[in-house]
Amino acid sequence: MLVLGIETSCDETSVAVVADGKQVLSNIIANQLDLHRRFGGVVPEIAARRHTELIGYVLHEALAAAGKTLADMEAVAVTSRQGLIGSLLVGVAAAKSLSYALKLPLIGVHHIEGHIFANLLSNPQLAMPHVCLTVSGGHTMLVYVHDYCRYELLGATLDDAAGEAFDKIAKFLGLGFPGGPVIDRLAAQGDRKAFKFPRPLLRASTLDFSFSGLKTAIINAFKSQIASGEALPLEDIAASFQEAVVEVLVSKTLRAALERRATAISVTGGVSANRRLREAFQESCRREGIEVYFPELSLCTDNAAMIAAAGYARLKQDGADDLNLDVIPNVPLEVQGGS
Amino acid sequence: MKILGIDTSGYANAIGVIDGDQILADLVFEARADSLEKIVANIDFALEKAGLTLEDIQGFGVGLGPGSWTGIRVGVTVGKVLAYGTGKPVCGVPTLEVLAYNAQGRGGLICPVISAGAGDTIYAALYRRKGGTVSRITEYYVGDVQGLSQILKEPAILVGTGVEAYRQRLKQALGSPDVEIEMKEDVPRGAAVALLAAARLERGQSDDVLSLTPLYLREFAARAMVNRYAQAKGKA
Ligand SMILES: [Zn+2]
Repeated sequence: MLVLGIETSCDETSVAVVADGKQVLSNIIANQLDLHRRFGGVVPEIAARRHTELIGYVLHEALAAAGKTLADMEAVAVTSRQGLIGSLLVGVAAAKSLSYALKLPLIGVHHIEGHIFANLLSNPQLAMPHVCLTVSGGHTMLVYVHDYCRYELLGATLDDAAGEAFDKIAKFLGLGFPGGPVIDRLAAQGDRKAFKFPRPLLRASTLDFSFSGLKTAIINAFKSQIASGEALPLEDIAASFQEAVVEVLVSKTLRAALERRATAISVTGGVSANRRLREAFQESCRREGIEVYFPELSLCTDNAAMIAAAGYARLKQDGADDLNLDVIPNVPLEVQGGS
Repeated sequence: MKILGIDTSGYANAIGVIDGDQILADLVFEARADSLEKIVANIDFALEKAGLTLEDIQGFGVGLGPGSWTGIRVGVTVGKVLAYGTGKPVCGVPTLEVLAYNAQGRGGLICPVISAGAGDTIYAALYRRKGGTVSRITEYYVGDVQGLSQILKEPAILVGTGVEAYRQRLKQALGSPDVEIEMKEDVPRGAAVALLAAARLERGQSDDVLSLTPLYLREFAARAMVNRYAQAKGKA
């Protein structure tokens, strides 16, 4: 079954064609980073305008790249839950129009469920149940994946997403936006033990996260240098900051897996591309005898292939949605489905 | 020609279906929080009322705005993706023209007005009747109600939602008793969008289905809002 996926929940306009929830025939992602860079973050109005301009072209290109036509499509899946309302509405309007024009089953997908499927697309051998960490500029969420389409929320960030912390620190250090790749690069040349930054909630029994205090901690640590205009040791700060975030993410995810006696962990979302995070997960998981999986890089950030894959599973499990499908900007994963 | 016309510039779903000069359906689903999510379901309802299916439709008309930014994005997206999905042409129609078209029965100049949402700002333009349709004779106006007096030099009919509320302020600004201004309460209608689109389609004109974009008109307001947002983010 060929499923057309549409993802516009934040600042990537993406359309994909996926066969049987497994084989990615195309996955076109129009990145808007250049537009948002000078603001140091995603500006909702700009994102929604850009989606409207791009959606037709991206749809057209996704079909061409897959070597298919609209008539070949058998279902359309779209991110309808979790994201920026104005952005979500564009993708859902497009999906409903296609569903109506071509009489295709319509499936609304929760964005986080999409990220969970990014890993299943890349690693079909990934065992059920497993613990999944979704970590990006928009989310930091620990989910127990009982089985396809059956989830339990274990923990989430109480304030900033981990990727947001990368963006804020990069902005503070004058490194530009987005912060993830540039900090990853700088950190490779720095000493991650140079500074001991706080590990928020590391020892707390909760599986929730908190990253909003990190920027303040770093500003306070370098107050005198900043005041005197002295150059900051950027590589060491980047490496030490990254280590603080990585340690919290790895240790909480591992704790969740051990508590649930899960034999596998999957890490997904934009921050899962971070090299130090991958390395630390691999080290710790090897020690504990747990398998760890990451999506291939093209499926780490927001993309429509993961939405098509999740939509395919949802369609088999719950059937299709109708044209009244709701757009919900903020809804937990566990209470979603069957709208 | 059987044409489907839609306008969601005020969140309300205005949907019309025409066949030649015959109006088969002309519905306005009032603006509610979920109006934009219901647009395609409402189109289905309107087509059923018109006794047609989507396959019968030969082209699409879509109100481009100005109006609610989110509203026009949804309308334009639905218009162009329906056109892409069915392989039929699409025509974007400025929403001010849609309002003016429905007021052309009355003579004189026509001045459609759309509230820009925030504060006192309005969108407007002047139209004149011309061969069964209307044609715009001024630049688009974005500003306060009083400022309209600068372009209203002869009797005109003001058409839009809540225009009665502008009467006092406009009279004061105009000062002259010679310029008679009539008020007509109306919303953009889907059938008018369809009729205007049909006229263009019959002349062989249509818009590029992939590049069709809304008519925001308030670029400066968007820039100001975006900059405010960026500053707030910088402080966070
Ligand atoms: Zn995401």
